[in-house]
Amino acid sequence: MDTITLAGELSAKLAAMREAGFSQVMLKANDVVGHPGGLDAAVRLVRASGLRVTGFQVLRDFEGLSGHLHDYKVDIAKGMLEMAHALGAPLLLVCSSTSQHASTDLDAIARDLRKLAMLAVPRGIKIAYEGLSWGRTINEFTTAWDVVQRADVPNLGLGFDSYHALATKTALEGLELVDPAKIFLVQLADFMWQEIRTVEERISTARTFRVFPGEGVHSAQVAELVQRLAAMGYRGDYSFEVFNDDYQQLPLPLVAQRARRSAEWLGEQVLRRAVPLPGRMRLRR
Amino acid sequence: MPATVDREAIAEQPNPLGLAGIEFVEYATSRPQALGQVLETLGFRPVARHRSREVLLYRQGTMNIVINAHDGARPSSVAPTETPVISAVAFRVRDAAAAYRRALERGAWAVPVQVEVMELHIPAIHGVGASRIYFVDRSDAFSIWDVDFVPIPTVDKHPPAIAGLHWFGLVQYIGSERMEDWCEFYRELFGFERLQDTQRFGILPKGHILRSPCGSFYWQLIEPEPGLVEAEGEESLQRVGLGTPDVPAAVAALRARGVSFVEAGELHTEARGALTVAQLGGLMFELVHQA
Repeated sequence: MDTITLAGELSAKLAAMREAGFSQVMLKANDVVGHPGGLDAAVRLVRASGLRVTGFQVLRDFEGLSGHLHDYKVDIAKGMLEMAHALGAPLLLVCSSTSQHASTDLDAIARDLRKLAMLAVPRGIKIAYEGLSWGRTINEFTTAWDVVQRADVPNLGLGFDSYHALATKTALEGLELVDPAKIFLVQLADFMWQEIRTVEERISTARTFRVFPGEGVHSAQVAELVQRLAAMGYRGDYSFEVFNDDYQQLPLPLVAQRARRSAEWLGEQVLRRAVPLPGRMRLRR
Repeated sequence: MPATVDREAIAEQPNPLGLAGIEFVEYATSRPQALGQVLETLGFRPVARHRSREVLLYRQGTMNIVINAHDGARPSSVAPTETPVISAVAFRVRDAAAAYRRALERGAWAVPVQVEVMELHIPAIHGVGASRIYFVDRSDAFSIWDVDFVPIPTVDKHPPAIAGLHWFGLVQYIGSERMEDWCEFYRELFGFERLQDTQRFGILPKGHILRSPCGSFYWQLIEPEPGLVEAEGEESLQRVGLGTPDVPAAVAALRARGVSFVEAGELHTEARGALTVAQLGGLMFELVHQA
């Protein structure tokens, strides 16, 4: 599960996840940067937790810039890659740019992503590029996939977030054009509104009121998505990208238990698999 | 920013950096004399020392090896260890500044320079692990060695090569499922080209082989054996390959100088190649047949 869902400091988050039976953690930069003992202590904590690090998030507004803005973002990216490397994170999540300063030229975007992927090679990190539903140029997984293909570099793939796909009502049939081996991460979340009408509402819901899969009104679509991914051969990791202001003020074990129920629902009812849920999210108890 | 404006599209050159071989390979070690002794058995001779640091230049034929025992402030690098590690490779290029800029534009990590006064600023980028890749464009009349190094008196500055030994290339160990990433890295930044798997060299036909754009040396990438993932170490430059037109003659000459070769079952000296027995905790050299 993602640290972003839980309140408090890193050690408490890791303990709650482990206690609820999760074997992986998706880390956010401020969990480790804001750790009271500093970055090195946070790294030790993560490595001692026994949880496998799914990935590290999130690099924003990277692509499409030029001149000093581009140079600045390259520095930021390098800082994040170094943190991810220290944490043993095999993947860095990158959200599509929302910046009005960024180019809308898909080839320019692809070129920058290609450069980012090259920066990541010596650090042993893959880049998962995700289309934010309020991204300026790239706001659907279909266009995100387009630029990933244009960039054409082995360690750059797609980050797929169910929330954004559902919010923009992008037809899931579009997944048929995606190479399952190039989906590097699938983030799942549900939400409570039947429909999201404006971009502002999309942003505020995404940031404050997502719920775990099965808790919202789009359970059937999330289930369809997961089944579709499994059928097309996706065997990578899933994580719960659930930003929720209510969950931020509840005890960690309570929230982690809700996540666990959601994982059980996905593993046992949706996928109904004898094999563990892809990404070994099978619960121990 | 150099804009992508209306310029005539020119196809990418097969050798974009004007790469022309390896200027030197650098080893880092806290025991420079022990490594020096090993190199001398292999036919290298100490020819110069660095002006300000504990750094020695060994040479044989066209090959330069730098032994770096300087324990300076190298934040992103490893401190020298007893077991020598390959800490840098220098590529000869047409224009070092241009090569460096081009690499950075394409996603290389710059290495901060630390030069003393009157020393050359040799641009470098990060390679695998803690290693670096330097770009050198002075390899002819007035070389980097003339600036930063002082010749050791009385010794021959150009000791001849034993049995035509020359750089064949480097062997890099990589993590599992990292082959495509690294092939793309060397292709994108320097123009290396991956050879067909049918093209093989030496006695250790593993992994994939990349050919430098100048065609004068090779870069072999080796993934861990399947099923040995838990034994996986850090990615690194594991050894150099020395090319020779006559492997048995080279082996005989080196044996006479005290070098031992691996002769164990399937892995033994042949006309195609040979492997020296590991010394100093893991240092080895591979001989490869190459006309």
